[in-house]
Amino acid sequence: MKKLSLFTICLIILIGSWVFLEFVVGGVISVPIPNSVIAMYMGLIVIAILVHISVEDSQFREFLRPIHETLVDDRRRIHRRVLVVLIPLFLLGYTYSIIAQRANPPGSPRDAHPSPPLELTYKDEVIGTMQDVVNPYRHYEKDDPEAFKAHVENGRRVYHQNCFVCHGDHLDGQGHFAPYLQPLPANFQDPGIIPNFQESFFFWRIAKGGPGLPAAGTPWDSAMPIWEDYLTEEEIWDVILFLSEYTGYQPRTFGEAH
Amino acid sequence: MKIRTIALLFILFGTLVLVSLMYAQNAPEASERGKEVYENSCAHCHGVEGRGDGSAAENLLPRPRDFTRGLYKIRSTETGQLPTDQDLFDIITEGMPGSSMPGWETALSANDRWEVVAYIKTFHAGFKENENPPKQITLEGKIPYSEQSVETGKELYVELGCVECHGNVGRGDGTSAPTLTDSWGFQTWPANLTQGWTFRGGFDTEDIFKRFIGGIAGSPMPAFEGDSFLNFGLTTEESKRLIELENKDEMTEAEEEESGQFYEKMDAAVDIALTIKEGGEVSADDIQTYNDAMKIVYEKSWHLTNYVKSLMPEKRPEAAIGNNVLRSQYVQGALPALDAAAWETFEAGYFPLVGQVVIEPRQFNPTIDGVHVKSFYNDTEVAFLFVWDDRTHTTGDETDETTGKPLEDALAVQFPVKVPQGPTAPKPYFLWGGRLPVYLWHWKASTPEQVTELTAKGINNAETQEAQGELQVQSTYADGQYKLWVKRALKTEDKKDLQLEPGVFVPIAFSAWDGSNGDVDTKRTMTSWYAFTLEPVPSSRRFVYPPIIAILSVGLLFGLRAFVQRRNTEDV
Repeated sequence: MKKLSLFTICLIILIGSWVFLEFVVGGVISVPIPNSVIAMYMGLIVIAILVHISVEDSQFREFLRPIHETLVDDRRRIHRRVLVVLIPLFLLGYTYSIIAQRANPPGSPRDAHPSPPLELTYKDEVIGTMQDVVNPYRHYEKDDPEAFKAHVENGRRVYHQNCFVCHGDHLDGQGHFAPYLQPLPANFQDPGIIPNFQESFFFWRIAKGGPGLPAAGTPWDSAMPIWEDYLTEEEIWDVILFLSEYTGYQPRTFGEAH
Repeated sequence: MKIRTIALLFILFGTLVLVSLMYAQNAPEASERGKEVYENSCAHCHGVEGRGDGSAAENLLPRPRDFTRGLYKIRSTETGQLPTDQDLFDIITEGMPGSSMPGWETALSANDRWEVVAYIKTFHAGFKENENPPKQITLEGKIPYSEQSVETGKELYVELGCVECHGNVGRGDGTSAPTLTDSWGFQTWPANLTQGWTFRGGFDTEDIFKRFIGGIAGSPMPAFEGDSFLNFGLTTEESKRLIELENKDEMTEAEEEESGQFYEKMDAAVDIALTIKEGGEVSADDIQTYNDAMKIVYEKSWHLTNYVKSLMPEKRPEAAIGNNVLRSQYVQGALPALDAAAWETFEAGYFPLVGQVVIEPRQFNPTIDGVHVKSFYNDTEVAFLFVWDDRTHTTGDETDETTGKPLEDALAVQFPVKVPQGPTAPKPYFLWGGRLPVYLWHWKASTPEQVTELTAKGINNAETQEAQGELQVQSTYADGQYKLWVKRALKTEDKKDLQLEPGVFVPIAFSAWDGSNGDVDTKRTMTSWYAFTLEPVPSSRRFVYPPIIAILSVGLLFGLRAFVQRRNTEDV
């Protein structure tokens, strides 16, 4: 087998890295990577290649050799003719597709979990600071399991009378109305949701609903109702207990080692 | 290998297959685990005692199944039979489209689903008493889909009276549609046959066929069986002839006699069917007669299945969510009118509607699936066509009990008054605005040639604009479908109106009301914000720049070659 030229090796590394990022990392291993991030990685790889080939003069000459040959060598006449047709054709198609592309509406950047206010309120009544308020029924879990169970059961009722059409029977955000809402309802089975927030955060999100979000959360888009208009304080705390009991995820707490 | 060893292996293999088949078809004995899973995952709708009265039940239509009566809609078994364990398992696994029953495949392990099947069966004594396995519907003799079969099915659709509930073209808008109730007395709507994705038991050919033969227990949909099927016992030709005779104003004596013979034949066949149904003794000849008659029922059901399949698209239209935009297409000259053929030529944007459950009174059980929208514009005007299915034409003759307001069908199209500038600029609240106002077109079925322009700052805070009459409107209602055509100038004098310009993305949202479903005010169906744009006429630059770039690149390549060649000669 003929030894691969430096140019071909560099080309293979470049294409291979792109395929790896786009399809292996962004498909098999994890979710798709944004194009801007891929562009950044590819930029780094190009720089690495340039550094590698320009370390020595002979190395650089070796790298340029195939390009050089294609341009002037008589043995590469066919290559040359094919390329002189293909390259302009590719550019023709590419520029056409860019110019003729239909415009799409600007994507609206939305912070799914914007920062809550400093104070937690129910209607207009202050409950306490966001950081300090705890679920007043949480302590029953240790102190009075029967009472705790009653609160969880009440939360279950509240959930299924109000929440499940969007957030789903499985609490996975896939209720029967969910697919046609933008933004999608929260998925409580996602390990990134319940464990990452305090119960006071959930109380705030439930009580104030979509319209209570700061601008970064695009309050005008969310179909989450303002639940303090319909639910009592106790019902909201109970439904939070139910969310964590059903999914098995514990909300985040402060003041303990973690 | 010795023959004995092969035989032994064969037997072993066979036993294994049999055991696994038995496992697949029969649920285990009801266990504590089944109860536990049921109470954690099912009871909130179906009730702790299986009566379909869980805490969520009141807000659901169709209601969650009451398991105590043993009436199951979706079965692979004949009419009057209980479902097989596999039927129950499949429904739990896949869920019931068009209802709030989700599929549990990802949420519960197969083992847990089987445990639930066993537990559900304990709610109805019939499962225990009935030791014989339920009789399954045979799918033999399937008639493949063909235009001829669809044609035959179409005739049967009228003959058998399907029209009365499902309507002329199958949109569930038949004359008796609004009067139907299920076995528990709750209102139920006949399926819209053009929306297969709402069929509870799926819309594969075999699924539809099974609903004919087995019926949909507990619902008004009858099973096709001996004592109720039209002209049972007659061949297809005889049946046709009888219908022809009966449609005559007057019959001759010979014809009277002919029809009399048909009736005798039918009575005999129905008698046999009833005897068989009640478990009585019948002769071999009778069984032959019955089987022949049933064969025709099966045949007709396959034709009917093919006809129903012909009414629906292969899948639900894709929701225009995310980057999918409602694009208005530019035309030169006059915009097409409501009945113009031009509307057929490009695909509509489909906007699925969901119940409004944000603000009381809420609508948990919407009856309108979605609205199809198309749009054309020219240099001065824009025209829209909105098409949606509604089983009833309700124009406000009845009033809502609590509000006293007329119940009528309606549609509202919503835009912001001012287009948000930039991706982070705030939009008005998606439900009829709030701090930022929205501009609305409100159409009502009672005034079909009129659209009222509103400005709203909240779902209960809408004002009729002073300047009206800027919109031209036409509408029709036929066979369970509304068509609404609206035309407006791109620019108006009214400062409260949205002003339109090509290439700008404008938020758009919809609300719809089905009066016969109790929709009024906030009780309605709705969508989130989508985008609408007057699609600019494609730029002619697309024919100029690409060739220039291509030619330049050729020049560049030759230049490069010349440069390299020159350097080579210099080197030498």
